[in-house]
Amino acid sequence: MTKREMRDERRAARQAAERAELAKSTQRKRLARLGGAFVVAAVAIVIAVVATSSGDPKPVAKAATASTTSVQESNGVLGDPNAKYTVTEYLDFQCPICKEAAASELPTLIKNYVDTGKVKLQARTLHFLGDDSTTAAKFAAGAQAQGKFWPFLETFYANQGEENSGYVTDDFLKDIATNSGVDYDKAKAFAKTSGAQQALDTADSDASAIGADSTPTFTLKRGDGKETVLTVGPTGLIDALNSALSA
Amino acid sequence: MSRAAAVTPVAAASPRRPGLRAATLVVALIGLGIATYLTIVHYTGGAPVCAIAHGCETVQKSKYAEFLGIPVAVLGLVGYVAILASLLRDDETSRTATAFIAIAGLAFSGYLTYLELFTIHAICIWCVGSAICMLLVTVLSVTRLLRAPVH
Repeated sequence: MTKREMRDERRAARQAAERAELAKSTQRKRLARLGGAFVVAAVAIVIAVVATSSGDPKPVAKAATASTTSVQESNGVLGDPNAKYTVTEYLDFQCPICKEAAASELPTLIKNYVDTGKVKLQARTLHFLGDDSTTAAKFAAGAQAQGKFWPFLETFYANQGEENSGYVTDDFLKDIATNSGVDYDKAKAFAKTSGAQQALDTADSDASAIGADSTPTFTLKRGDGKETVLTVGPTGLIDALNSALSA
Repeated sequence: MSRAAAVTPVAAASPRRPGLRAATLVVALIGLGIATYLTIVHYTGGAPVCAIAHGCETVQKSKYAEFLGIPVAVLGLVGYVAILASLLRDDETSRTATAFIAIAGLAFSGYLTYLELFTIHAICIWCVGSAICMLLVTVLSVTRLLRAPVH
């Protein structure tokens, strides 16, 4: 082998080694980029799954009782509009005691007094517990405009969340509306009107007039007479009503 | 055998793989077809033709049919178009782009499949088809990138 041939061979070997090194380096970069992309993608999936799981509204159950769905409702008044007596409940959608009262007292009230035409039942939606109360009360005014206030209230109670946790979202309201026969879009639109605000203002002024400062407060009125407090709290409504009507 | 021949196996073993590019193209076109169909169904308000009960309609009409206000079918459509666009050229940047888009698409498909199985509790066979297409595109594009020659 001549010197020239040996020089050419060394150059070729050096260039081959450089190409091999370049190939290895490029492959390392490719693997690093792909690995990075897979890691980012995996992290994104985990974040999305966790966010979805924690953000899911809890499954909506049906109303605890179906006591209100079969009764005539007009403008939020349950029962015969010409009934001699009016029972008014001052409530807050977020109030757990109101939920308790709805389960323990309202079925009997409806069965023995509303269904028989002796009493008509209406609600005043207070909203002092927080923003979730206000959101729910305004939406409920929209349900009331559709003649579905009480089924909506019952279904809401059956799915009541942690107070002021921000659970009264559009999705939550949509689920409650769907399960109580309320047209969500119409109720949502109504909730933005002055009519919805007026319902809240009326509740506030009526509560102030009779001194109702906690929920639930139940009052009784005969015809256009004076409204008086029957009971405050989750129990005792039926007994108090029996006494008042037999007096 | 010369020393030069002995130290150049990497280049010799890294021929261009036109078959991988063509296969990626075919699978991406199938995925594009599925995404287009689901997009049309979404905007016409109909129910997808579905082989498994009414799972497609349940998934399509769930709140998860949109992501950040954008229908997921449209996101799939955009993803497949981007993959096809990246296949127009055959250089390192384009191959890397194909792989990256496919990996992102696979991640999103995985998330949607999770939602179907564990949140919506319904299976949309079209969505599963799209997810399989994205998985194949990912495998093909990653293989194509790793086996591409180095210049």
